[in-house]
Amino acid sequence: MKTRLLIGAFGLAMGLFGALRFLQRDLDDILDSVLWLAAGVAVHDAVIAPLTLALGALASRVLPAAVRTRVVLGFVVLATMTITAIPVLGRFGAREDNATLLDRNYTVGWLTVAALIVVGTLLVARVSDRLGQRAPAHARQPEPKG
Amino acid sequence: MRTLTIPKEGSFTSAVRHERLSARIGVWLGICFGLAFVTGLISHWYYLGDVPFFPPTRPVWGYRLTQGTHVISGTAAIPLLLVKLWSVYPKLFAEIPFGQGRRLVLNLLERASIAVLVAASIFQLVTGLANSAQWYPWAFSFRSTHYAVAWIAIGALLVHIAVKLPIIKAAYAEPLPEGPEDVPADPAADPAADPESDPEFDPATTPSRRAVLRTALAASAVVVLATAGSTVPFLRKISVLGVRTGEGPQGIPINKSAAAAKVTELARDPGYRLVLAGPEGETTLDMADLAAMTQRTHELPIACVEGWSASGEWTGVRLSELLDLMGAPAEATIRLVSLQPSGAFRSSELPASFARDPLTMLALGLNGQALDIDHGFPCRLIAPNRPGVFQTKWIGRIEVIA
Repeated sequence: MKTRLLIGAFGLAMGLFGALRFLQRDLDDILDSVLWLAAGVAVHDAVIAPLTLALGALASRVLPAAVRTRVVLGFVVLATMTITAIPVLGRFGAREDNATLLDRNYTVGWLTVAALIVVGTLLVARVSDRLGQRAPAHARQPEPKG
Repeated sequence: MRTLTIPKEGSFTSAVRHERLSARIGVWLGICFGLAFVTGLISHWYYLGDVPFFPPTRPVWGYRLTQGTHVISGTAAIPLLLVKLWSVYPKLFAEIPFGQGRRLVLNLLERASIAVLVAASIFQLVTGLANSAQWYPWAFSFRSTHYAVAWIAIGALLVHIAVKLPIIKAAYAEPLPEGPEDVPADPAADPAADPESDPEFDPATTPSRRAVLRTALAASAVVVLATAGSTVPFLRKISVLGVRTGEGPQGIPINKSAAAAKVTELARDPGYRLVLAGPEGETTLDMADLAAMTQRTHELPIACVEGWSASGEWTGVRLSELLDLMGAPAEATIRLVSLQPSGAFRSSELPASFARDPLTMLALGLNGQALDIDHGFPCRLIAPNRPGVFQTKWIGRIEVIA
């Protein structure tokens, strides 16, 4: 309990310091960043999360049971990679006068990574199938370490 | 047809969501956030200017390492945060114990701390990711905001760890199994256990928690490999989503071009003179004077706050020899002023430790050629272990401050 109180008190102090720094900025900056803070949560909780649930529900109806897990997990990698790639795919920061910035073909890059994710998912599936043949699912024991 | 209603915590039936999974993803996420926070503080230190003690001049690649780590750990956190939020999403709809005094207060306090943590975490990753691609879709000042919210995020994270510590410990007391067959012998002992755990668990239709954790880590590795080449040379060819290939004039990328700084004409002016403002007044040197001084070549990295970096062979005049020429005191702080007419970073200050470092120089050439206009022709500062934005380009004036 003592450890928890100590960590909590330390966290509270750091958070308050941050809040103070946050409020010491110009009013315009404060308002604009509060908007962005709230928007981030709203976009996740009201758009990304429900969309994920809907896709999950769709997957359980549309996808054959035998491949569902693999497709879903492969999709998780693909989707998170795509979200991370948004700034370069959109080239929002590109500048006419700077050819060294955003200097790749990101559509080709995205397609390449996406293809590799598909191949990787298939490979993992194949390997786990082989392991599964050796030890049937019901006989499998959890490994000792997580 | 069913009507849409607000779900309750129990509406989410996936047995994969479990605090043993959430705790493990949380630990990985915590490592990323911790790395990003510490390296962020180091970066902030360089920007402070007026500090009792300055960052060291060695190792020369220090900022390259810390800022590269900052951006890589932030990028790695994005898939982890998304999977973590998915794993705890039902808690958003958990029942609020109205009318139960103390429990209600504690519940609301925890919800508030989680709201702050989630908001600050998403904010840091979104603004950091956009900044690394030089995209500024907001109106607020990035640096002061990213810095303030970093403290809020880490503070809220520590509060969260303090609240959840028993759950984290319990989660690590047992391994993460391949399936949801880890229902405790006595379900009443663990109310968080999944009531609908299916003994007929089929790994084809339901991923195991362990598989979800591995997937999150794999996604993290994918985004790191796909982007880190902007700063890790051997990943350049692999990082197809990196913001920079690492190519550029004379083999080095640039952040601000001469055109953007509106400095092209001034820098190319044949009448260019470098002004040295020492304690005994001003003197000037032209390009021939600079070229006549002892030329030295050092390999030094240029490392930017956006997380990219590249190493170059810089040739030029040792700054301390110029300072001796000006009669600058050994302990003096030096200001370097660019020819560029405006901009927040048109001048930078060098504490004596950097100004007098034998590797700090006024570079006239890069990788065997005269400095490209976009790298700061006619001359630029290049010092060890220093953020790129303070490696002032197109220098027109060197001043002794004190």
